[in-house]
Amino acid sequence: MSTIYILCVEDEPEVLDVVVRDLAALEDVFPIEMAVSAEEARQIIKEIEENGDKIGLAICDHVMPGDKGVELMIEMQNEPFTERTRKVLLTGQAGLDATIEAVNHARLNRYIAKPWDPENLMKVAIDELTTYVIEAEKNLLPFMSSLDARRLQEAIRARGSISDY
Amino acid sequence: MAGDESRMRLLKNSRERVKGQIPPLEFGSAGRRLDKEAFVKAIKELLPGSELLSRHHQVYEEGEVILRENQENRRLFVILTGYVKQLKKHDDFEIAIDLQGPGDFMGLLSFTTGQPVFTTARASGRVEVLRVGQSSLDKIQDSYPEISKVIQGLIFYNLSERYRRVVTLHMEIAQLSRELEKERNTLRNTITELEQTRNLLINQEKMATLGELTAGLAHEINNPASALLRSVDYLTRVLPEMAEQAGALPDTGMVRTFLEAGLNREVQSTDDQRNKMREIQKKYPHLNRSTVRDMAELNTEMLAKIDSFAQNSDKPRSLRLLLDSHQAGVFLGSIKLSTGRIGHLVKSLKSYSRDSRAEPEVADIRLGIQETLMIIGNRLRDIEVSVNLPEIPMVRCYVGELNQVWTNIVINACDAMDDTGRLYINCGTSANDMVWVTIADSGPGVPDNLKAKIFDSSFTTKTAGGEFGLGIGLAITRSIIQKHSGTISVRDRMGGGAEFIIHLPVYKKI
Repeated sequence: MSTIYILCVEDEPEVLDVVVRDLAALEDVFPIEMAVSAEEARQIIKEIEENGDKIGLAICDHVMPGDKGVELMIEMQNEPFTERTRKVLLTGQAGLDATIEAVNHARLNRYIAKPWDPENLMKVAIDELTTYVIEAEKNLLPFMSSLDARRLQEAIRARGSISDY
Repeated sequence: MAGDESRMRLLKNSRERVKGQIPPLEFGSAGRRLDKEAFVKAIKELLPGSELLSRHHQVYEEGEVILRENQENRRLFVILTGYVKQLKKHDDFEIAIDLQGPGDFMGLLSFTTGQPVFTTARASGRVEVLRVGQSSLDKIQDSYPEISKVIQGLIFYNLSERYRRVVTLHMEIAQLSRELEKERNTLRNTITELEQTRNLLINQEKMATLGELTAGLAHEINNPASALLRSVDYLTRVLPEMAEQAGALPDTGMVRTFLEAGLNREVQSTDDQRNKMREIQKKYPHLNRSTVRDMAELNTEMLAKIDSFAQNSDKPRSLRLLLDSHQAGVFLGSIKLSTGRIGHLVKSLKSYSRDSRAEPEVADIRLGIQETLMIIGNRLRDIEVSVNLPEIPMVRCYVGELNQVWTNIVINACDAMDDTGRLYINCGTSANDMVWVTIADSGPGVPDNLKAKIFDSSFTTKTAGGEFGLGIGLAITRSIIQKHSGTISVRDRMGGGAEFIIHLPVYKKI
């Protein structure tokens, strides 16, 4: 089974550190990759794709040097490899325009304002990853202990089969 | 030109108002009406056949002087055709007093009283006159009794016309000064209104700058504040655990070593960290990823120290404790960094927004420039800022106001470059006891035809509904610089973009 990654993009190392730490409990199932710029994020996405793995969740800051977070997300939405990746904007400063653009063109799934509540970030991550695995994974059982078990069970029941669509 | 126009308008207004108050001159009784036209016609009819009259018939061409001011005159002039300008010398130029036409008399006063000529008479176009001395006048009156009476009447008419003209002029002057006074009051009110509007605009612009600064500050403070909050959260959770488990270690001094290593950790790139994580995972395949991530934060020395604990999967608690100690140190360092950043920011802000109503102070303007760059730092994230500020003499100034100048120009540059590019800030001393500051950007520059206009308050490139400000920042900037007896100008930067040059006088001890 291929690995499902969480990708965090944030230009300030201390903030990036905190995001990763807040999500550390998920890491045994969903390894976290960190990038400080959109350019680095692209490199990581490429590597994950080449290894035959997947990205289930991307958490991205908007205001960064170089390409902005929203630009990266739109790019990911247009790539078949990352189209299904759940996209969360984590930012203190995206203007209304950037947010609208993200919702309309990047199918932004969530917007979290800085400073965030760690429990809320965790809840959002679990929610989004649950949605991702329901949409993209055949076998949902391995995620029962780390994700939203109730929704996973419902999905399994709806499918009528444990390991098949 | 505009002044001339408004003066002409005033004159016309007052003249028309006066006209209504004085009825036109009627002279002579019915049937015996004195008519200048008839008189001229009669003389013209007599002329060809009269040797006496022809002798006094005289023609002047355009511009020719008929009578000159202050000279003696012993003859009376009657205009038969054409017009004559009456001019009076005033200082260095001539003022047109009146225009006389057919049937009018000239030289009347000097002729009858013997005083010097009062006004110069100059032909306006071709002019025909009858020019007679006293004896000739007597002869004519004797020879042509039918016109003699008319002449006397006309002379009297002419004099009274002049008197009326004096009265009219007085009234015109009175009317004119009334109009002028009114105009002056209107102007005064307009100026007051304009000043109020200007102050209002300046205030709005200040609020806009404040908005920009607040947005920037919110961002600048938000990040360290988030880091602070999270660090404290982590320490609150981890410290009690650490205290409980410290006894599990063979050497409790290690906790301190790892804590200190964490505190002094050098930030590594995410790329390096990724590679390090791969190596560690390879070396210790039994460790889970979050442990590997924590270990990747350690330097080589600490990695060596922790090796035995990592190898030995029987001692996950000791490994955890050491990694937590290191991480606690990292968070302590982050707390130090964050509080330092917030403290620095607040300090800059305090000094940036110094009360501008206070007395000017003798200051090093470079500090203000650096504080400004710090405060609007979030606008400069994608901009490569090259600051070269060698020591310069002190300037007597309002620091807060000059900070507004730096802010306006730098934000302007950011706008022009769409927040991506290069910014160059330099300073120095020029020969004439001035210090200079240049702020240049790599934006599109200012077109030549706009260079002179951008400091006008009526000029803006910002369209309605722009993000911040009215776009009159540069006008305010110039007024602040002028208040400091300085100058500001803009030119093209070598290699593209705009360069603003500010000169301020060096402070001299008295």
